[in-house]
Amino acid sequence: MKIARRYSLLALSMLALLVMASSGAFAQLTTTGTLPSQNFNHPPCDFTDAFYTANGINVAQLNTPGAGRFGFFRRFGPPASGSQVNWVNDPTCNTDDPTRKNVRILATTGGYVDDGTGAPTDFISIIAFVLSQNFFTGVANARNIQMVDIVSHFEAYAAPKQRLADGKFALTPCGTMGTGAKPCFPVTSVATPTLRQDWRFATNRNAIDGSDGNAPLATPPSNSPFGYFCDDMLGMWIVTYFWFTVNPENPGPVCGPIFANLRRKNGTSLDGTPIIKTADELNNQLEANGCGAEGQEDVGGADGGAVWIICPAIMDPRNGAIARDAFLDTVRKPANNTPLDPAFNANFNCLQTKGQFPQPDGTCVADTSGL
Amino acid sequence: MPKVQATKPSRRDVVRLAAATAAVGPSVAFPDRTLANQRTLKIAKWAHFLPDYDEWFASVLAEEWGRQHDTKVVVDHIPVESIHAVAAAEVAAGSGHDVFMFPWPPAEFQRHVIDHAEIYQTVAFKFGNLDRFAHRSTFDPRAKKYFAFADSWIPAPLHYFEDHWREVGMPLGPVHYGSLRSGGQRIREAFGVPCGLALAPSLESNITLHTLLYAFRSHVVDAAGNVTIGKTALTVEALKYVKALYEDAGTPDQLAWGPSGNVRAMLARKTSSTINAISLLRMAEKGEPEVASKIRLSPPLLGHAGVFAFPHVTNCSVVWNFAQNREGAKQFLADLIDNSRTAYEKSAGCNFPIYQKTVPNLIAWLEDDPRADPPYKYKALKDALYWTRNLGFPGYANPVGMEVFNSFVIPRMFISVVTGKSSPEDAVQAAEAEVTRIADRWKQV
Repeated sequence: MKIARRYSLLALSMLALLVMASSGAFAQLTTTGTLPSQNFNHPPCDFTDAFYTANGINVAQLNTPGAGRFGFFRRFGPPASGSQVNWVNDPTCNTDDPTRKNVRILATTGGYVDDGTGAPTDFISIIAFVLSQNFFTGVANARNIQMVDIVSHFEAYAAPKQRLADGKFALTPCGTMGTGAKPCFPVTSVATPTLRQDWRFATNRNAIDGSDGNAPLATPPSNSPFGYFCDDMLGMWIVTYFWFTVNPENPGPVCGPIFANLRRKNGTSLDGTPIIKTADELNNQLEANGCGAEGQEDVGGADGGAVWIICPAIMDPRNGAIARDAFLDTVRKPANNTPLDPAFNANFNCLQTKGQFPQPDGTCVADTSGL
Repeated sequence: MPKVQATKPSRRDVVRLAAATAAVGPSVAFPDRTLANQRTLKIAKWAHFLPDYDEWFASVLAEEWGRQHDTKVVVDHIPVESIHAVAAAEVAAGSGHDVFMFPWPPAEFQRHVIDHAEIYQTVAFKFGNLDRFAHRSTFDPRAKKYFAFADSWIPAPLHYFEDHWREVGMPLGPVHYGSLRSGGQRIREAFGVPCGLALAPSLESNITLHTLLYAFRSHVVDAAGNVTIGKTALTVEALKYVKALYEDAGTPDQLAWGPSGNVRAMLARKTSSTINAISLLRMAEKGEPEVASKIRLSPPLLGHAGVFAFPHVTNCSVVWNFAQNREGAKQFLADLIDNSRTAYEKSAGCNFPIYQKTVPNLIAWLEDDPRADPPYKYKALKDALYWTRNLGFPGYANPVGMEVFNSFVIPRMFISVVTGKSSPEDAVQAAEAEVTRIADRWKQV
């Protein structure tokens, strides 16, 4: 009797497996490798033209080579390499979200979260570069607020390389942000190969859970009037460039110990300067001691680089948001093409294969709780 | 202000009134004696940038209140630049007005005023608790006492000429301090029109330069009251920035302007932008509509510390502890809130209410202002309360910070660098020494 029951259970199990396999429940989705019930987050796609217009962006400007909008430009080439593409046409985008166009973004840029921890947990899609105010129509959004006013509250911190091709270390940027001294380092591109370290994104400004120390429910709410994920509908950022104002080879008695401490804590950038992950490190350790500076490009476009970027952060990168065919875009060491900060890769790989951040021991485990 | 009762008197009331009149006949019959018994409420008030507001305040609001409270109300309008000196003289003399209205938190006078908590409590019954901005502008956390009563405030956005800034590719304004300099430079080169931030000591320069300094993440004193202005390299950074702004995009006139000099320069189209109360734009709308149509407002410029500004005015009233009519003064201030909506209208939208319930349709007005061309121009102020911090930030308004404010330490520090009299480093050192002296003196109090 027991044996018969065992066989029948086995048969039932096999039947169930067959049914599941034929129904495609075994990671057979087009974009992810996790169970369908866990893929409730959609991968990132570009916005529709109508949605850009509704949010005060001039689509004609966006569709120019300088802006490099995905779907029109930059299909191949950095950050993609070889035959890898940065974006694909995907008919599910607009079905999943009517504000999205059927262009799915594969190039997934990593960045440090601006909550004080500097954790490598932000993932964004750099859809286009906004080079001047001509990209804004001046038309306010549905809440009668101009996008240019909203986006000033959301800074993406870019770290352009200061070490020039000849090996010299430039202390000031070229263009309007600089002092005019020579040599200067260029700020005409924020493409990953031009960066000395990975980005930092202020996704948590006015975080609804108060995780940035603000008081969003106070009267009036303190900190930013806007929340990134609820007001910045295009996921735009104003690019804040930050740099070192002293040479890392000869930092002096004030900056030297600060650099040493930060290097110990965070590692070293491609320039030999410490990696900067948090606002405290930039504002209170570098800038307050005259070791670093920051600025934004001329909003009229005089500097020729990105003043703003359209690169929505993935609100929840778990559970399907990092598609199977997506790839990680982070700063790499030129000598061996290995990642400058492998922690991004660890997170990205688990998110892509299991839909979850790594476990404390570093292993990737899918969420099977059914919750 | 309590409403005037307009109920029709009954026959019994008329009889009762006649009897009462007979009983107190002499006082009615002898107006002089009535006047002798009548109380007086003396109010000193900073002279508003829009004279029409002061006219309404004195001849309508105060007069009506006086009629309803059988009080002779005397309102003296005092120029902003004299307010501090007049208040100090009254304190020294131990006599003067009953109510003294400042355009900033009068924290230096906190030992000479009543605790205004009672007035806030009276108002709370009708309009709820005061907000964080007013609380931090008028509360002394050490003495646990409200040294003033705030009823309204005026934001300080950036004003810019849209046509000039459009010509340099910035039709929506410069957005951040870097572009104020680079765009301002191109405008001056192209049109000979300089950037017009107020620099010479005045209320305008005090607000502008405190805002700029704090936007660069430098503080005069920290939340605990420690002198911090010299503790960060960012103060030097701010000084270098203003010197470069002046040299690249400014005008020597900035060093000579008296009170509201930046306003007059904008109205005459001699400058391309400035930071000020929106009274500037209201004056233009009234007297120079063509000029007004070209002026746009934007939230404060983005700096190291984010999008941030101090208020142009924090309307703070005190009742001196030597006031002759203390009860009347308290009542007047509490009743003032009943008139917040009218005050907003009569100030042409300058005086934002502390109690937001009093002007519930504020946002709708800002989005569609009948005097503005285009009518949506003022919507840039929708979130003004979010980007405005109290004077005294990151702490409370305090005597040290306000004495620094009223003795123009910050404008003088900037001017010494702009004029080349000091290096940025020396100017910071001098300012730090001055602030430290002020702080030490207050420690003795």
